[in-house]
Amino acid sequence: MANKGDLLLEMKDVKKRFGGAIALRGTNLSVRAGEIHALLGENGAGKSTMLKILAGVHEHDAGTITFGGAPFISGSPQASIDQGIAVIYQEPSLFLDLSLAENVFVGRQPKKGLAIDWKEAEAQARKLFNELGVELDPKRQARGLSIADQQVVEIAKALSMNASIILMDEPTAALSASEVERLMTVMRNLRAANKAVIFVSHRLDEVFAISDFITVMRDGATVSEKAISNTDLQTVIKEMVGRELTELFPKTDHPIGDVVLEVNDLTNPAYFRNVSFTVRKGEIVALAGLVGSGRSEIARSIFGVDSYETGSVKINNKPLKKNSPITAIAEKIALVPEDRRQQGLFMVAGVNRNISMESFDRLKGRIFLNFKKERALTNQWRENLSIKYADQSDPVDRLSGGNQQKTVLAKWLATDPDLLIVDEPTRGIDVGTKAEVHKLIDKAAGEGKAILMISSELPEVLGMADRIIVMREGRQVTELSRKEATQENVIAAATTGKKGI
Amino acid sequence: MASILKKRTFGREASLGIILIFCIASTGFINPRFVTGDGTRDLLSATAIVALLAIGMAPVMIMRHIDLSIASTVGFSAWLVADFCAKNPSFTWWQCFVIGGAVGIAVGVINGLLVAGLRLPSLVVTLGTLYIVRGGVYVVSNSVDYNAQEMPPSLLSLGQKTFAGLLPFPFLMVIILMVIVGWYMKYTKPGRDCYAIGSNPPAADLVGLKVFRRTFLAYIFCGFIAGVAGVFYLMRFAQVDSTAFYGQELAVVAAAVIGGIGLLGGAGTAVGVVIGALLVQTIQGALAALGVDAFWKAAINGFLLIVAIYADRVLARRTEKALLAQRIKERV
Ligand SMILES: Nc1ncnc2c1ncn2[C@@H]1O[C@H](COP(=O)(O)OP(=O)(O)OP(=O)(O)O)[C@@H](O)[C@H]1O
Ligand SMILES: [Mg+2]
Repeated sequence: MANKGDLLLEMKDVKKRFGGAIALRGTNLSVRAGEIHALLGENGAGKSTMLKILAGVHEHDAGTITFGGAPFISGSPQASIDQGIAVIYQEPSLFLDLSLAENVFVGRQPKKGLAIDWKEAEAQARKLFNELGVELDPKRQARGLSIADQQVVEIAKALSMNASIILMDEPTAALSASEVERLMTVMRNLRAANKAVIFVSHRLDEVFAISDFITVMRDGATVSEKAISNTDLQTVIKEMVGRELTELFPKTDHPIGDVVLEVNDLTNPAYFRNVSFTVRKGEIVALAGLVGSGRSEIARSIFGVDSYETGSVKINNKPLKKNSPITAIAEKIALVPEDRRQQGLFMVAGVNRNISMESFDRLKGRIFLNFKKERALTNQWRENLSIKYADQSDPVDRLSGGNQQKTVLAKWLATDPDLLIVDEPTRGIDVGTKAEVHKLIDKAAGEGKAILMISSELPEVLGMADRIIVMREGRQVTELSRKEATQENVIAAATTGKKGI
Repeated sequence: MASILKKRTFGREASLGIILIFCIASTGFINPRFVTGDGTRDLLSATAIVALLAIGMAPVMIMRHIDLSIASTVGFSAWLVADFCAKNPSFTWWQCFVIGGAVGIAVGVINGLLVAGLRLPSLVVTLGTLYIVRGGVYVVSNSVDYNAQEMPPSLLSLGQKTFAGLLPFPFLMVIILMVIVGWYMKYTKPGRDCYAIGSNPPAADLVGLKVFRRTFLAYIFCGFIAGVAGVFYLMRFAQVDSTAFYGQELAVVAAAVIGGIGLLGGAGTAVGVVIGALLVQTIQGALAALGVDAFWKAAINGFLLIVAIYADRVLARRTEKALLAQRIKERV
């Protein structure tokens, strides 16, 4: 059993390349027992690569790693698990056909005699979910869970391993404030039990709320290792992006025009009821609320990938056909989905092909895709969003998580839509680019586009939206103007359903 | 709180069972012989080999793989066993099983090494071994056939044994195997690993499951059962030539799919597979009993398969919707 403050993990001058691309060019990381250690850096800085080396997914090319006083045994996930390392990966990887309890205990099911004790597994899983403050039925299949719920199951899985160090790669990226609060309590308990946590997040307020120590990476190298008391937000941002960042949310005022989207009494009893709102030209309307409050489902219903039972959707004063994404796209609606891997991207296709996919009409020559135009388009968006890749035609699944998110954004922004629906647009995007994304959304509004934004990140909602519609359990609780909205009254409405405080 | 997961798997097997009973009853109504003791025994004997093979293949298919070589293995095992018996008249039934099982394991090892070891696509690998093994039968058999005279009487009489008046020995074996495999797949770690591996192969690597070992052993098990099924083939037909069981692998795949094993892995049970095999056989038998031309047999098999896959899709989509909805309701 490690004592508080003992050096648990030491990575020295670790290097890793993927083919021609250098992911790590000499990184250091030292983590002590009983410490919550934040690992920060821009998209593509190499954070996930570091964690995956510890997880046994990748093997480092050079450098030394000691773990628990002994040389780290690398190169196999099983070996890492055996050494007491648990991982929450950036992208949830659940077994969709299996129950949640089984997902939590896969490979380590509790036994009674010869047989697996399913009752016990379910009871333990339920306990873990309760601890995380999320009511999930351990017996249900994992299929159909939202990204946030999948993340919760992944967290429960990692906790159940009783490891001495837990690697958390953006565990909060899809969670809203109240779930994050629960997770933080759990992290504090882990710290009290002398376990170590490595915490990767692009939400710097969370990082400063919970960590003891911060390591910052840039371009595959460590640039600073400091105790939290020796640093501050501005310093960290500067270390991450190499320059000062001003004005995180550059919202400007635009003239508001005609109604573009009109949603009337939309109901799908399973997800949301009697939802009515409008979005006008030049306006940014945000749907706020907890995870599972039905926001994504509304967006998906408008876009036609999901259905609704009653109510209507009008676009530019014309009824929009239900259940038909093709019509929606033809009406110049774009949806940047919450789940980039399942719904947003073709993972094995190149970055360029993904970005150009929905803009084919504009890019084609007489019949075929004009590669020059495609290249130009890709370059333009690489600039706009600082997407990091080695080659335009690199398959998207080789990109870091944040860069994948940027690719989905680029794909839909490139279509030049009238109505842009963005679901968690900055999930996993670093601080530097987040401002860029906000600027782009703001610019789109300035060009007269209507924007419907779903976000679990309150500062983003408060910073960007002209109007905020707060949802709770599938119902519209209240609507707040930019002036009225504050952190407190949005949270209050989302959690208790009480309007205005 | 009712478990949708349980309801679904239960629903699948129960609804198959209901369809099965309906088919048997309605055929019996038109042709009463179908529901007599004789009729039942016939049905069970005729189903046994396919059911056995489908149980053997279940773990492989649950892992999102397939084994097309089984019918060739059955033929190979049957011919070799008959050959051994012809040359060693003192052989009794258990020696047949030892030889048949060994032949099957040998084929399973080859499939397993290629699929699990080299990570080659199982469809292609086992299509290859399908031809190789069948080719092997042609070569070694050299057009020699064997009949009942060359086979151990102890083996043939074992095949004739019935239990409780209704249960032929081969089908008793099916039931025993079904219970063992069903239990193993539900209540042991290796069994559960198969479902996880089939459900999400990359994630199985991430959580440290022994993917190679599980896949390899599943192929060996599948081959072993195919080898044993070769002996059951001799028991039933008391005759073997180089084309024995030719082309029957797809009947096995059909039974498994109709019985609820998705081609995308991760789902299915041994019980379901046996009911699937029974259903295929019942419908075949029913058509014969109703005097439908045997010419229709293959076409109707294919039709059934498509209906089964369609039903599976509809069911899966419904479950998915229900699961999504459940999530929201839990919140409220
Ligand atoms: N399997 C792979 N093949 C090729 N390149 C890879 C692979 N995995 C990562 N990379 C590259 O390594 C670099 C570091 O990626 P990594 O995923 O570690 O970034 P990250 O810091 O986690 O970023 P993010 O904040 O976006 O998640 C990136 O440039 C990425 O493109
Ligand atoms: Mg990452």
